[in-house]
Amino acid sequence: MSENLEPSFVKQLQENQNIIHKICRLYTAGEDAHKDLFQEITIQLWKAFPKFRGESKFSTWAYRVALNTAITLYRKNKRSIATVEYEGKQHFTHDIEYNYEEEEQLKLMYRAVYQLNDIEKALVFMYLEDKDYTEISETLGISEVNARVKMNRIKGKLKKILNPLGV
Amino acid sequence: MKELDLLKKDWQKNSGSFEQVSENDIYKMIHKKSSSVVKWIFIVSIIELGLGLVSGLALSFTKYDEKNVELIKHLGVYGYYIAATIVLYIVILYFIFKFYTMYRKIAVDDNTKKLLSTILKTRKVVKQYIAFNLSFFALFFIIFGGYLFYEGYLEGASKNGVIHPEMPLNIALISFIVLILATAIFTFVLWLIYKLIYGLLLKRLQNNFEELKKIDL
Repeated sequence: MSENLEPSFVKQLQENQNIIHKICRLYTAGEDAHKDLFQEITIQLWKAFPKFRGESKFSTWAYRVALNTAITLYRKNKRSIATVEYEGKQHFTHDIEYNYEEEEQLKLMYRAVYQLNDIEKALVFMYLEDKDYTEISETLGISEVNARVKMNRIKGKLKKILNPLGV
Repeated sequence: MKELDLLKKDWQKNSGSFEQVSENDIYKMIHKKSSSVVKWIFIVSIIELGLGLVSGLALSFTKYDEKNVELIKHLGVYGYYIAATIVLYIVILYFIFKFYTMYRKIAVDDNTKKLLSTILKTRKVVKQYIAFNLSFFALFFIIFGGYLFYEGYLEGASKNGVIHPEMPLNIALISFIVLILATAIFTFVLWLIYKLIYGLLLKRLQNNFEELKKIDL
């Protein structure tokens, strides 16, 4: 791989790294796994970078590669020895008005999302990222109508997880 | 769904709050080796393709084989034997070529469904290759094993003083059935082991591919 691609790649990735962090947050539990997936996505992005022609935005392209890595390529294995160390912690910002009930609800909601399967998580991720259904369908390779239908089903599933008895 | 809206609000509010990885660390990361499933699939496939090639070569070069060649020449089917060997190599080379072209098509920036489908198709090539190899060697074993047993039996009989030894039909039938059963069991066990490795490597990919296919049903 050509040497002069490196600085440009590293710079763009550094600027767009939150995309990867967010995917790691959804697909892994724990700091080590987060770092592990972050590294694998970075490697996959770098390997695919020579083909990136700049026809789409770097971020759009990175979304796709990162999601694909999380869904298909990533092996949930322990191999923390080979991972570059960095602080992967997230600092949560809180409003001054701390809403206990809302915080509790959020916790449950995150827990519910973790119970979804890989594909469902991908849809939820893009939904949370405010992606339109055209992009969701193009990224996953499914039809737009069915992406909508699936998203509605996922909402139903989440409701059921939150409230299994349906009360 | 109001919980989802709440989550979205929180998600977007906190999306910039990750501890940032420095450019220096990214430099270090891109020089690390990937441990992706595709890489594993590639390694395992190369081993499998190689094993087929090696067993084919072993077949043509061992002393055991030379003895067979004598036997085949004696039988007057040497031409068929050579033809079968050539076919074996053509098929092996065809599979290697097909695997390589499929593997090259795996692109991580395709859409997810296409990516999964290409990976699974690539593995399918290797699976077909393994099935071909197992059946080829099973057939080979039955034909030559059977023939060797037959020859051995006659030889043993003539050593015992029988002038025109012949194998009784019931012995021929029983030994043939035993040979086929033994080969079948052996092949089946190999196939099971293969399916296990295959399953371990691909279960998640297959699940996700099925899930995507289901969405578009």
